[in-house]
Parts: sequence; structure tokens; C-alpha cells
Amino acid sequence: MAELKIETTVNGRRIARRVDPSQRVLDFLRDDLHLTGTKEGCGAGECGTCSVFVDGVLVKSCLLPVAKVAGKTIDTIEGLAVSGEMSAVQKAFHKAGASQCGYCIPGMVMAATAALRLNPDADREEIKERLGGNICRCTGYQKIFDAVEMARDFLNGKLSATAFDELDAEDGKYIGVNVRRIDAPSKVTGALRYAGDMVLPNMLHVQVLRSPHPHARIVSIDVTDAEGLPGVEGIVTSVDVPGQDGFGVFVSDQPVMARDKVRYVGEPVVAIAAESLAQARRAIAKVRVEYEMLPAVFDPDEAMKEGAPIVHDYAPDNIVKHIPIRKGDIEAGFAQADLIVEQTYETQQVEHAYLETEAGLAYVDHDGVVTVHSPSQNITHHRHMLARILNLPINKVRMIMSPVGGGFGGKEDMIYQGMLALLTMKTRRPVRLVFTREESIATTAKRHPSRTSYKMGLTKDGRILASQVRIVYDGGAYGMSTEGVIRKGAILGGGPYNIPNIQIDTYGVYTNNTPSGAFRSFGSLQSQFATESHLDICAERLGIDPFELRLTNAMRKGDATHTKQPLKSSAMSDVLEAARTASRWEHGAPNIRGATRSDLAGEGTRPSCTLSPRAVAETPAPKLQHEKGAA
Amino acid sequence: MLSCDTYLSPGSLDDALAAVAASDGRFRFVAGATDLLPWAREGRAGDVHVPLLVDISGIPDLRTIEPRDGRIWIGAATPFQRFLDHPELIRLMPGMPDCAVWFADNQIRESATIGGNLVNASPSGDGIPPLLTANATIELAALRDGAIRRRRVSLVDFIKGPGQTEAEHDEILLGVECDTLEGYGGAFEKVGHRRSLVIAVVCLSAVVRLDPSGTRFEDVRVAIGGVGPVARRMTDVEQRLIGQPITAELLRACLVGCEQFVMSRTRQEYRKLVAPGFVARGLANAIERAGGSPDACGIAKEIANG
Amino acid sequence: MARKRGRGMAGGWYGIARTAAVDRAGTWVEIDDGGTVKVVTGVTEIGEGILTVLAQIAAEEIGVRPEDVVLGDNDTARSPEAAHAGATRQTYMLGNSVAMACREAKGRFVQAVAEMWSVDPDSIATGNGYVWAVDTNFRQSMAQAVEQIKKRGVVVVGSANFTAHHTGLDPVDGSGRPWQAYVFGCQVAEVEVDTVTGEVQVLGVWAAHDVGRAVNPRGVEGQIEGGIVQALGQGLMEDYKLAQGHTTTPGFAKYILPTSLDVPHVTSIIVEDRDPIGPLGVKGIGEPAMVPTIPAVMNAIYDAIGVRITSLPASPERILEALAKQRNPTISEIRSHS
Repeated sequence: MAELKIETTVNGRRIARRVDPSQRVLDFLRDDLHLTGTKEGCGAGECGTCSVFVDGVLVKSCLLPVAKVAGKTIDTIEGLAVSGEMSAVQKAFHKAGASQCGYCIPGMVMAATAALRLNPDADREEIKERLGGNICRCTGYQKIFDAVEMARDFLNGKLSATAFDELDAEDGKYIGVNVRRIDAPSKVTGALRYAGDMVLPNMLHVQVLRSPHPHARIVSIDVTDAEGLPGVEGIVTSVDVPGQDGFGVFVSDQPVMARDKVRYVGEPVVAIAAESLAQARRAIAKVRVEYEMLPAVFDPDEAMKEGAPIVHDYAPDNIVKHIPIRKGDIEAGFAQADLIVEQTYETQQVEHAYLETEAGLAYVDHDGVVTVHSPSQNITHHRHMLARILNLPINKVRMIMSPVGGGFGGKEDMIYQGMLALLTMKTRRPVRLVFTREESIATTAKRHPSRTSYKMGLTKDGRILASQVRIVYDGGAYGMSTEGVIRKGAILGGGPYNIPNIQIDTYGVYTNNTPSGAFRSFGSLQSQFATESHLDICAERLGIDPFELRLTNAMRKGDATHTKQPLKSSAMSDVLEAARTASRWEHGAPNIRGATRSDLAGEGTRPSCTLSPRAVAETPAPKLQHEKGAA
Repeated sequence: MLSCDTYLSPGSLDDALAAVAASDGRFRFVAGATDLLPWAREGRAGDVHVPLLVDISGIPDLRTIEPRDGRIWIGAATPFQRFLDHPELIRLMPGMPDCAVWFADNQIRESATIGGNLVNASPSGDGIPPLLTANATIELAALRDGAIRRRRVSLVDFIKGPGQTEAEHDEILLGVECDTLEGYGGAFEKVGHRRSLVIAVVCLSAVVRLDPSGTRFEDVRVAIGGVGPVARRMTDVEQRLIGQPITAELLRACLVGCEQFVMSRTRQEYRKLVAPGFVARGLANAIERAGGSPDACGIAKEIANG
Repeated sequence: MARKRGRGMAGGWYGIARTAAVDRAGTWVEIDDGGTVKVVTGVTEIGEGILTVLAQIAAEEIGVRPEDVVLGDNDTARSPEAAHAGATRQTYMLGNSVAMACREAKGRFVQAVAEMWSVDPDSIATGNGYVWAVDTNFRQSMAQAVEQIKKRGVVVVGSANFTAHHTGLDPVDGSGRPWQAYVFGCQVAEVEVDTVTGEVQVLGVWAAHDVGRAVNPRGVEGQIEGGIVQALGQGLMEDYKLAQGHTTTPGFAKYILPTSLDVPHVTSIIVEDRDPIGPLGVKGIGEPAMVPTIPAVMNAIYDAIGVRITSLPASPERILEALAKQRNPTISEIRSHS
């Protein structure tokens, strides 16, 4: 391979290196200089986790071929803290609680630094615009804006340095106090190492061959060409699984790698460990898999019909689970109702999009313990499953949680840890796998899409007499957390309201779509979206204020839930009153009264974003005669 | 992933053209590089090996911004950010700042070049409509029979279809020459699915020059992008307006038939709904920025608000 | 006006910790050299701030400062089971477990100090790194006290397990006690809809959430703000698309996430209805924060322009399509009969 000689100054240090000309600046910083504070989030310039300064200009280092920094100066997150003291922006991020998972934070701190260098007086709207290239999935950005404003005011002398200090609790009472996050310094300085930042001596790089088909029988897998390639140290397929090859939260229906057939596009089929990432990728391209197409099903309602393609033999009706809830007599309730409203609702499949993609590092230790570091939200359960898969005593499997760069449920279901364990056992060398963004999006679990049929009966004065709810959730190709998701969707689906007669049915269904799994709010986001939209329709029909409608029906202490559990306490009325007061809500039925409301555009809102003002401010309009005359 | 054997950063046009002449033809030019690496990824081109990458962004000819023959020359390697901070460009290209502020994000604007945006020839390329309204002419250079051949092509003829241009494989886009539009008011309208880092579903550039009273159109240029294989000037609209006093009837009339510009195969209904609204809004904003009289601005705004 | 504003509201509720199954979390604590506190539990910081929450709880329970607390890494070979980071369970399960373990350790520490000073254990108090006996001159830093009681042969440890006694659902009628603690929330959203482009901007959200007891109010706000923006992504723009099982949204250029220019100002109102069962009164906020957002925004869109988006996301295209249908009233999807 040709090499390129690069001389550059990085964080004030002059560096001369021979590099691979295919490298990006991001690779150069992370792999050659071990500056792992600069993160890779997407590799396509779409997220900003890799932002660095090149000759003082902020750029996305994943978009920059390394040759472009020859003779230039690079400043990274590691260079911001001068002699160990965090910069004002870093201190402000710490104080304001601007970091959560922390994975976007090095890039965000760099963007904030750039914003204040470009305009030390930038107002909040300009700050937002200047951070527009950096995605944060955790914080909702608000604490980040607060932090940048705090740093700005400190740098402009309007805020004293003590503003960044920790407040001591007077009497040792720390519960209820805004203690600064103890993990924030490691995040705002880029010191925290996520799984993809970790390296071990003799480590191999793993890549995965994935199914190109939604449903197909595997006729043969031929790895002979791949085996012979330079750098290839280990190849595993389902035949390498020594134990019970099935995992899942409620049903063990998912093999570590496809066994006999593939059930979705992106399902792992073969995993290869090689000396370098490029070698592993080349080897993957040489594996030949012969498939025999099977009819596939992509719609859960279709999948539930007689004669639909069967995704798992154990479930010929393609139903993962049905959860019924019954209370009272809905027909009697509807018969007494003054108003009955029916409506259907649909929600789409959604990606967790944590900025840290799935990654893991595995090795077999000196005692023969198979050890996996990964950003897992559930190492306890993953250890149980992995011990069964590997056919090892449970104390010979060790799971260590690496810092999680965003989870939201997406790192709760086990996905790739089995492949890593098999490859490290086979090669007896440490192995590491880091998903690309595209791999993470296309192959890992999503939020369940749903279709809801809702029927509600109410009295004229707004008492809910009966609700009938049926929800079909698309579970995709494997069970994963589906059973739990549809259970929570069912239990909470009626809403926090006292409803004497209720019938809820939720179904989780297998299809050949990307699997659906755990995702923050777990099935209830879908069902409560339907309930709360439905109540708005009912409130309009009845001419009742939507708060009043909910207060009329709110569950109170001692009321029985839809699962007939008496509540030990309920704050439903309290939160309704609190939101109504805080938002200065104008009383009235929801009958398209936006044009006449008096409670709009007040405190608690931001200005509408049009972008153009900044461009216009920088381009003064021509002065025409009529204006000169007036002047 | 993109891989290469050799990455060259020639310091002159001669060197760049010589390098590609000496190659076996398997090379690519690189400028801002903001679309090159994302292109070589899963879901797009996948893993790509290009033996030779020739980075032309350091060639001085491609970096100049200067007046030429009563027009303005903008070197191909000019990053979009310059349309927001270069005083001459701001003065002479009033259609561009609004476009630049919508372009990608603050960071990519510092790298992504105007030339790159043109050779990509994306149907939704943000830079194309405002350059169409500036009657841009492209200059290309290639080595032919041992000598540099330069040729000029109008932007209208340069972009032939999605990803297709008049440039030959070994031809370098040197820059664009544009009308100077001092005294015009410019506007850029864009909609995608969010407000930063967004690919346009529809985008529109409008530049307007008014008479001294600020009530009559002296010149109007409108171009629309994202709605078909190539961005286009809306000459029907322009012709109806040029020389006319700004009235509600006139503005309303010019919106009729705007949806005919929508040729996309996807989201056609949506684009047809947006197109006339953007013409009205673009004209209203351009009139205001051209120094329109309060009456003219009020009329145009009312039409834009439906 | 082409840009129309409106407001909507929605409520929601949520259960805390594992659903319809017993939940449990174990903790080991040592009051360590230097007056520091070692807390080992299967904690998983996924960004929500649980490490800080547990440090605050341990600090208050033992009588040190949060920076004196060391939290062990989550490791199946080195820490007791505390199960998973999900189900809005960490503050509730681990928080209570850590508090109970700290109370046990502190009880032993107080006993040892009382014996050393020959005072009544009930007179011993701690706080901010100091231990003293009320109405006496006995006062030492925790560091000194730990050193001295170690010389007397005592290593102060404590452990605890917190259990949530949930039951499964009846397979026929679904009856059961899936959770012992519930939380409630309500949000109001204010939107602006551009009727030329169909874009929806959410300008403000007021979010009132019951969290039991806020250990770190700023952290609670962070969860609410983040949850709202994540929900807003699903409500307005995010859409993982498949064509015959193949994704057509393979990267962040196609899978659209909210940026800093797409988010509302959020006003959080923390309501504290303490859990009557756990020792701390805490509940949780992680997941419930995002439950009311989408319907509140959809209801606000209706208020602004009179169209109901019942199929997510409310993309510009869907909004304009719905407005077009509105102009043609023969199309109506909402059926009702009185």
C-alpha cells in the first residue's frame, strides 16, 4: 500500500507520520494518535460527533481525507483543557447538566467553542443555528443551549467563575439538590472511553456478513475463499455455536447467526475476525452463500391471516403473543353512551439512533472466562443467555458494561455479543466489532409499528363509560422484547382514567421486517398516542375543555386500574392542574380555535425559526428612491 | 469505505491535468470532499476503491473570486461559507446568502464547494437555482493534444440530469461566471424534513430588481429545484412580471400553472402544492429585500400568505 | 396567515420498574479509607444520570459529599445483580437498594464510633464528611473516624436488596398488579404550522410530571427535555422505511433526527407525589417523559389548522395532504354516531 507523509500540528504538538492515504482525519486522530475523544457517529457528516478545528475552522473529520490536513493545525477536544483545566465551555457544560450519554458531547463542545469564537455575543437563536450540524439524541438540546449561554456570559465578563462551582448542601442533604453530574468531566473532555474506543494488544477486527433477503432458506455457506485471504484469523457461522443457539427476552427464538434460514434483511449469517478492518471487509466480500427464496410477509395484519408465510415454525399463526384485558361490560357501557367515537391510529417504525453505534470487545481471560465489554443495558440477562449459548458454567461468562453512548432500550436486547464470544473463543485473541451507522440502522431492533382501532363511549358531561382498544404491533422477524412491549401497551393503553367497562387486546406479530424491540416507553407510546388523540376528538364533539374532560375521568387514589389494581396514590389531577397553570391555558373545547387563542407566543415559547434573518442581516437591502426620500 | 492507492494535491492546473493524463483513467477529482466519503458507504456506492484521488482544491485558479468582463468569477473551490462572509459576493450575489445559510450546516459550509455542488448535479442541489438566476456560465479545462483546452458552457446546458453533467471524466470545473446583481433583492425558499442538515424537497431562488419607486418589477428571475431531474428557470413567471407594476392580480396570475414545473416521480402531489406557494413567498421576500415600497411589500406578503 | 399557531394537550401514565414480574436490585457498600464510600451495584449509566443520583443518595445517607462516593463498574463478575437499565427502574430499584445498603453500613459505622467514644449511638450524627456526637465535643472527619475504627478491627460494610412485588397478569382478563408505583404526566404543546410547506414547528412544551421525589431536579428536567425531543422526532420526522424488507433510510441523511433548530423550548414542572412503599419516596421519569408529547403536538396541529393526523409522522407531506382533504370535505375518516 502506498503511504503518504503527513506533517501536522495536533493540539500544539508537531507530528510527522506516514499514513495510509485512504484514511480520514478521524481515523488518523483515533487510530494513529489514540485521540479517541473525537467520536465516530455516522461517518457521513450528518451528526457532528467528530468535529475538530483545522486551522481554526470547525470541520467534520469523518469527511476529510487525511491528506487535507498536511501542513495544517488540528485542535481536538483533548486540546481544549489547557494544562488540565477545563475550558469555560467545558465547565459550563458540566455545570448546566448539558451532557447525558456524552457521546455527542466532544463534538458539541467543539461546536459551542466555535460558535463563541465566531460571535462572542451570539444570542440563543444564533447559538442554535451554529450547533445545527451536531445531533444530540439525549438532551433535547436545551441544557446545551443553557451551557453555551453560560460560557458566553462568563467569557464576556457578565458571569463570575463561581457560577461554575458546585453548591454545597448546607446540612448534608443532597437528595433534591442540583449536584453536578459526576460523569460529566470525563464526557466534556473526551476522556471517557466507549467500547469502540478500547483497544487490546493483538486485537482482531470483526465484520459481519448479513442476509440480503427478507426470507430465504440457506442452502450452503462457502467460506473457503475468505479463509485464504491475508489477515483472516477466524470465521464463525451457526455451526460454531456449542450450546443452545437461541436467545430472546421472552422466547428464545433468535440464533446468534442465521441457522437454516434468514428471516430479515440484515440478519447476521457469517462473522469474520481479521488483523485489520479492511481485511475483514475484504474477506466478507469473498463468502458465498446460496439462498433459496421463501415467500415473505411484511404486514402484521397479513401475517395473521390464514395461509400467510410462516416466519417461525413454532408459531404457525405468526402471533408472538396476545394480551387481553377485560373489565366490566363494554356493550352495556356503549349502550348507555351519549356519544361513541371510533377512529384508527397508526405509528411507524422508529430507530433509537443513539450516537454510539453497537460495539463490543471480547476476550478469554487467563482463567478461561469469556469476557465481553459492551454498552449493554442488561448484562445480567445477557450473561444468562450467553452461558447457555456457549454451554459454559455461568461463572465462566463475564459481561462488563462499557459506557453506554445512548441506549433508549436499543441496547437492552442482546444482538451481537454472541458472535464476539464465539470469535474470541475460536481465535483465542481479543476481538472487537464496531457497527457502522448504516449497519446499526438497518439491522438492529426498532420501535414497534402499530395499528390501533379505538372505540370510546361517553356521557354528555364527559364521563367515559366504555373503551374498546385493539392494537396490532409489528414485531418483525424475532421475538426480542415484543411480549413485554405489547403487555405494557395493553396495561397502560386505556390511559390514566377511571373507565368502568374496558376491553383491550394487543397482539405482537412476526413478519419479515427488521425486528422490533425495546424502545423507551415500550409499547405504551403507541397506545397512549391513540388514547390521548381520541380524547381530543371526544372533547371537541362534547364541547368540553380537554383538561376538564381528563379531570372528570382522572384516576384517583384508591381507584382500580384497568387490571383491577387499587392505586396506592395518584397524581393525575395534580399534573393536569400543574400543566394547565404553567401553560396559562385558555379554557375551551378543542374546536380549531388557534386563530383566536389569547394564550399563544408567551413565556415558554421560542421564536419561529426561519433561518433567513441571519442571511438578510448580513446583506443589507438596496436603498431605493422612495426610501431615500423618506429618510 | 473509500480507499485509494495515491492521493495527490497538485498546486497548479497543469500538474493536476498532467497527473490524470498519466493515470490509467481510474481516478476521481476531490475538492471539498464532503460528498465523496459519504458516497462510498453502504446504501450508496458501498466499498469503493479509486486508485488515484486528485485533490484540486488547492489550485489557485479555483480559489479566486474577482470581477471579469462586467461579471463576477467564482472559483470552483469556493466554499459555500464565502457567500455569507465575502463582502464582494454578498454585494453582487444577493440570491446566495439565504441559500448558503440553508446549506448543510456551519461546518460543511466551510468545506463544501460551489463547484462540487454543480458537478454532483443533484436534482435538489441548493446552489443550482440561485446560480441559474445569475445566468451562470461554467468554465471547464482538460488536457487535449498536449495543451489545456478551456471551454465555457452555460449552467443550463451543463447539468443534463441527476448526477449527469456536460463535463468529461478528465475535465476540471474551474469556476462559474455570474451576472452581478447589485441592487437586486434575493430570496431562497427551501423545505425538507427539518431545518438544519436538510436535503431540499423543493427549493426556489428569486431575485428581483425594482424601479426607483419600489412598485414596479424591472427584472425578475426565478428558478426552482428539487421538483424534477434538473433545476429550472421559471421563465413563464418571469415574463409575466418583468416591467409590470406590483399588483395582487399580477402576482396571483403568475402563480397559475406553476405546478407544471414539477416533474419528479416521487412526492409529486406535495411538490405541486408547494411550488406556487414558494413562488409567491420567494417573490414577497425578494421584493422586500429589493427595497419594495410598503404597499408593494404588503401586497406581495398578502399573496404569499394565501 | 400562512403560518398558523395552535395548542394541544395530552396526559399519560406509566409504571415504574419491571412489568408484571418481581423486580429486585442488590447493593454492597463499604465506608472506606479517607471517609470515602464505595458503592457496588449492577448500575448501568446510560446517560440518564443514575451515577450522580446514587452518589447523592449515598452521600446523604452516610453523611459524606457526593464526590466522596465511588461507584463500582457494572460487571457480572464483580458486582451484585441489579438487573437492567430500562423500564424507568434505576432511580426506584437501585436508588432504594443503595439507600438501604447505606443505612445498614451507617448503622454499623455509628455503632463502632459510639463504642469508641462511649456515647449513645442515637447521639451520633453525620453530614458532609463529618461525624459527631450531639451535645458533646466529639467531632471528627469521616476519614479520621474510619481510620480509628479500622484500628479497632472494624471494616464497615453494608448490603441490601430492594424488591418490587409485582404480579403477572391473569391470562383471561388481564387482572393483576403489574407495578407497585405509578407516575402521571401532562403536557401542553404550542405549534406553528406553515400551510405553504406543511412544516410543523413546536415552539413550546409545558410538561408536568410526577416523579415521586426528584433526587436531582436538573437531571429530571434533562430527562423530560430529551424525552420530549425524542417523541417530537417520531411525531414529525423520523420514519424507518422498508420496501420488501429492505430499508430505504439507511443513514442519517435519510433517517431524519431533530436538530438544534427543530426543538421547542421546554418548561418542566416537577410534581412530587412520593411513593408510599420504597424507603426514599422516589419513582422515575425516563420513559414517561415522552408519552404525552406526540398526542399533545397532534392535538395542537388540529387546533391550528383543523386536520387530525392519526398516522405518524406528521410530515410536511402528510400535513399538506390533510389540508387538501380538508378542502374537499367529502373525504372524512372520523366516524361518529350519537
